Amino acid sequence: MIDLKFATIQELRSLIDSKQVSPQEVLDFYLEQIVQIDPTIKSALEIFDKKSILDLSSNTGLLKGIPGFIKDNICQEGRIASCASKILENYRAPYDATVTSKLKQEGALLVGRANMDEFAMGSSTETSAFFKTHNPWDISRVPGGSSGGSAAAVAAGLVPWSLGSDTGGSVRQPAGFCNLVGLKPTYGSVSRYGLIAYASSLDQIGVFTQTVYDNALVYSAIAGHDEKDSSTLDLAKKDYTQNLTSKFPEGLCIGIVENALEAAELDPEVKLVLEQTIIDLEKAGVSVKRVKVPALDYAAATYFILSRAEAASNFARFDGVRYGYRAPDINSLEEMYTKTRHDGFGREVQVRMMVGNYVLSAGHAGQYYNNAKKVQRLIRHQFEEAFKDVDMLLMPSQACPAFKFDAYSDNKLQMDLQDYFTAAVNIAGVPGISIPGGFSKEGLPIGFQLIGPNLSEEKLFQVGHAYQQITDWHKKNPKV
Amino acid sequence: MDKITRDEVLKIASLTKLTIDENEIDSIVTQLQDVLSYAIRVQDMAQDVDIPVHKNINRQREDVVVSFDSIIILDQAPETQDNYFVVPKILDK
Repeated sequence: MIDLKFATIQELRSLIDSKQVSPQEVLDFYLEQIVQIDPTIKSALEIFDKKSILDLSSNTGLLKGIPGFIKDNICQEGRIASCASKILENYRAPYDATVTSKLKQEGALLVGRANMDEFAMGSSTETSAFFKTHNPWDISRVPGGSSGGSAAAVAAGLVPWSLGSDTGGSVRQPAGFCNLVGLKPTYGSVSRYGLIAYASSLDQIGVFTQTVYDNALVYSAIAGHDEKDSSTLDLAKKDYTQNLTSKFPEGLCIGIVENALEAAELDPEVKLVLEQTIIDLEKAGVSVKRVKVPALDYAAATYFILSRAEAASNFARFDGVRYGYRAPDINSLEEMYTKTRHDGFGREVQVRMMVGNYVLSAGHAGQYYNNAKKVQRLIRHQFEEAFKDVDMLLMPSQACPAFKFDAYSDNKLQMDLQDYFTAAVNIAGVPGISIPGGFSKEGLPIGFQLIGPNLSEEKLFQVGHAYQQITDWHKKNPKV
Repeated sequence: MDKITRDEVLKIASLTKLTIDENEIDSIVTQLQDVLSYAIRVQDMAQDVDIPVHKNINRQREDVVVSFDSIIILDQAPETQDNYFVVPKILDK
């Protein structure tokens, strides 16, 4: 069998286009990798049978014959979409999410469902109701989360791309933990139709790949206006790889977010990597400017309030009536609701819903929810002001390198603070991309984050791609 | 901020339509307290915010009925009968 281990989509496409390999051979190779490696990594909740994978996709398009994983909160018609929760364990999606149908049209092969934190609530994929996913760089550590299965699969070379979702950092932080490129697109640039909601005003579907070029390619397949999601923007279909030269854009100025680099929450090893990244960018002729975004220090608190409030509202529909789990031996309607939700949801989801109802309740909404909405305006405003002076911002995408399992079991707040450097981007709605930037002394990957104004994905890709021409962090792979 | 009490947790659980086991209450109190004591800092930052709300415009689309085969939908339900969802009895005789 031809060795395609850690091939990029770009490489696979040229092999397929020149008929050196067939899509079927590509699929066979990756399915074999999954059989060999996934029992150790445990990234997938399910791998589909080969025939159905091939039958469901078109045999032409941007991603013809390229296999990938879909996070388990994104609907694939006829397949289970469990959100890694017991309450939806047997739920079969009655329709395709818009991203799913777009990927099928573009010829992508959807081979499995990726493990995740239950309902995307977590930063380590440990809250999955089914099992924990291991970081391919060190299997005693977490892959990050909530899209940990999606990240671990690409990092382990089981597929060359995957989709995740990012509400407060759930694509960018695991991308950092696993040495991948992870994109959280502009709010409204990718349809959320068929994405099972966590916090609707913050959720966006995002992409994991090994390279920026590949990321631009998958983004090209999924971005664009969708009638079925009224929050999508008017965005014409285009190929975002077209303008990827190896050069940084002329006159590029990157703002270094000083207060993020000085934050107490930042691990010194992550800071070290970012400082080296800045030096490398300057050497390449990029001008950098130190800036401050003071409201960033309030982003995690704002995120805790807004996301939990929206979740409390979104999750009211899981009632044991129309779909999902229903608790047995119940005597009343009230008991059906309360026992179903007690048995069906894991602890993290229960606590987040309760926090949400608390911050929305009469007597507390003024202090919490209304103030958080005000700080959201401030965060947006400060980003807009910063983008008057610089083209994009650079800051961490992770607080620390990948941590061990159960590292935060006694201190959930510290786990929640994994969102410290990422949540502001969701709150402002702007795009952010995490790019491999180096390693810790122990050999754990560390990424950095580039943040641009609304709909600046093309420029973020250009800069990220140029950076990957002068560095080779993204070419390093774990021994799996 | 004020301390969260056990009674408050039970009230919030009831609003959230959740049964809470007796042995879970204390740790939930702690977890809620931790998150809320951290989150209350938005109060300090919000004081001086004088930025108008962005005007959002609703996007409209044609009101076209797209119907699903009811069997696909009903198949997902824990209990059904004659094209209806079944729930425990609500009214006593």
